[in-house]
Amino acid sequence: MSAPLLRIEELRVAFRGTGGLIEAVRGVDFGVAPGEVVGIVGESGSGKSLSMLAVMRLLGATARATGGRVIFDGEDLLAATEARMREIRGRDIAMVFQDPQSSLNPALTIGRQVTDVVRAHRRVSASEARRIAVEALERVGISEAGRRLDAYPHEFSGGMRQRALIAMAIACRPRLLIADEPTTALDVTVQAQIVELIAELRRDLGLAVIFISHNLHLVAEIVDRVVVMYGGKVVEDGPAADIELAARHPYTRLLRACVPSLHGPLGPLAAIEGAPPRLGRMPAGCPFAPRCPQAADACEREMPPLATDGARRIACWRPQ
Amino acid sequence: MSGPILALRGVTKSYPQGGLLDRLLGRASNFVALDDVTLQIARGDVVGIVGESGSGKSTLASLAVGLTRPTTGEILLDGEPLAALMRDHAGPWRRRIQMVFQDSGSALNPRKTIARCLAQTLALRGVPRATREDESMALLALVGLGSEMAPRLPHELSGGQRQRVGLARALAMKPDILIADEPVSSLDVSLQAQVINLLSRLTRELGLTLLFISHDLAVVRTLCTRIIVMRKGRIVEEGPCLDVLARPAHPYTQLLISSVPKGIAGRRAPAAAAASATSSVG
Repeated sequence: MSAPLLRIEELRVAFRGTGGLIEAVRGVDFGVAPGEVVGIVGESGSGKSLSMLAVMRLLGATARATGGRVIFDGEDLLAATEARMREIRGRDIAMVFQDPQSSLNPALTIGRQVTDVVRAHRRVSASEARRIAVEALERVGISEAGRRLDAYPHEFSGGMRQRALIAMAIACRPRLLIADEPTTALDVTVQAQIVELIAELRRDLGLAVIFISHNLHLVAEIVDRVVVMYGGKVVEDGPAADIELAARHPYTRLLRACVPSLHGPLGPLAAIEGAPPRLGRMPAGCPFAPRCPQAADACEREMPPLATDGARRIACWRPQ
Repeated sequence: MSGPILALRGVTKSYPQGGLLDRLLGRASNFVALDDVTLQIARGDVVGIVGESGSGKSTLASLAVGLTRPTTGEILLDGEPLAALMRDHAGPWRRRIQMVFQDSGSALNPRKTIARCLAQTLALRGVPRATREDESMALLALVGLGSEMAPRLPHELSGGQRQRVGLARALAMKPDILIADEPVSSLDVSLQAQVINLLSRLTRELGLTLLFISHDLAVVRTLCTRIIVMRKGRIVEEGPCLDVLARPAHPYTQLLISSVPKGIAGRRAPAAAAASATSSVG
């Protein structure tokens, strides 16, 4: 693998609670190579979105990064000034979110919102910015892009809005796109189109992508590598096929088995009993131990280290 | 009884579109949410109603429970017109059809404990005060929750647990028909599996008729015996679930099936960077 474009090292994120800091991301560590597509999979509260907001330095007032480093192209983003981050966001790293409705300003035209991004990062004339915006909208499959520039977000369908947001994200040719559950709010047929679009952009523009989802099936279709998170930690990662078809961590195996499929045998789904650990109530040992069918005494006592095994890493005392 | 437990005959539901001015100027049009739908549900059927936003699937559900009335057409509950039954607002028909909603967070009163929520529902059915607590506990057990949940408030429960309470509350009325509108789509995959398994067991054990509204074909395949595919207010295809999914006749059903994520097997052109990924697929 070439030198990573993004290297997250021992990242920790905590919320300010009444009794002090409550850690939600507890030492996350992985890299993304230039042009690589990485999926982050996990349930609510696994820390997957929070880690990426920390990378973008968009955590807001209630949470902050309490440790670790985020190295993008040789530079530690956690140590960068806010002015420097404004240069990087949108130009080098762009992010699209789950709800396209609330990510767009309802009072401004689509064209204005795309050209704003372009002109924030590049010294171009208004007409050149408009040309770049049209090109970006065409790139994401919006037909009659020139005419659509004057449309307002409410005139777009959900899928079109998500396309417009992706157009904003790629308008400045970033090297990394972070997509946080970009299809969860969309209909299934639209979801399939957006997933296809992201695969195309990666192929044509050489874009590195981090695709966050709770659906292992969905990410396995387009990513090179899957990072599985649970309880604020990486519990397993590796090539997509290995993770989907031959996972070694009991959580990853159950995560795949509990998603119903259109083929395969009928009958009760594999279920993971119980619920994910709550913030501030993380078990001392492996966070999955209380729900794990394989758990032994050691699992409850001590967190297993993330150990390398060929192309993958696993944090489990009793891998399968 | 041999006839269908629920039947829709030429049911159309339309909503006026446009503001007052448009209506005064005669420019208003109608948005047709459900367009001349006829269907029959047999007792004990587990029917999946699938479609995307705007397909009319949720309109169909609210018509069937009597939350809205059809613009034209007729809905029959055990052969009796629902419109006539509805003249008695709190009549026994209401008990017979119950609904579980998508967002378990907003479907429960945040200030009422689970025990109180269930006891009040049982009171509506006329269960005497003395036996309400025992019945509440039995209902919690039926949906796989322990009695320790009884004194808790909704916010103290996880999404999956709240969805089970919603189900217990619907079952408290001893319904014949249960309508579940996207009951698992806001849940994490692990909790989704728990709720689907539970619904599957309950329909078998209680002989419930279930209308399961969903956009997820794989979930419908796991749970349902019949499938109804809707698009733009119309039924485009229906039949036994496995037959329709194995041999979809309508292009829209085919499109929905091809849109279901297939994981590694669904990759079209494997990328060079994923060389290790492709080698183990065969």
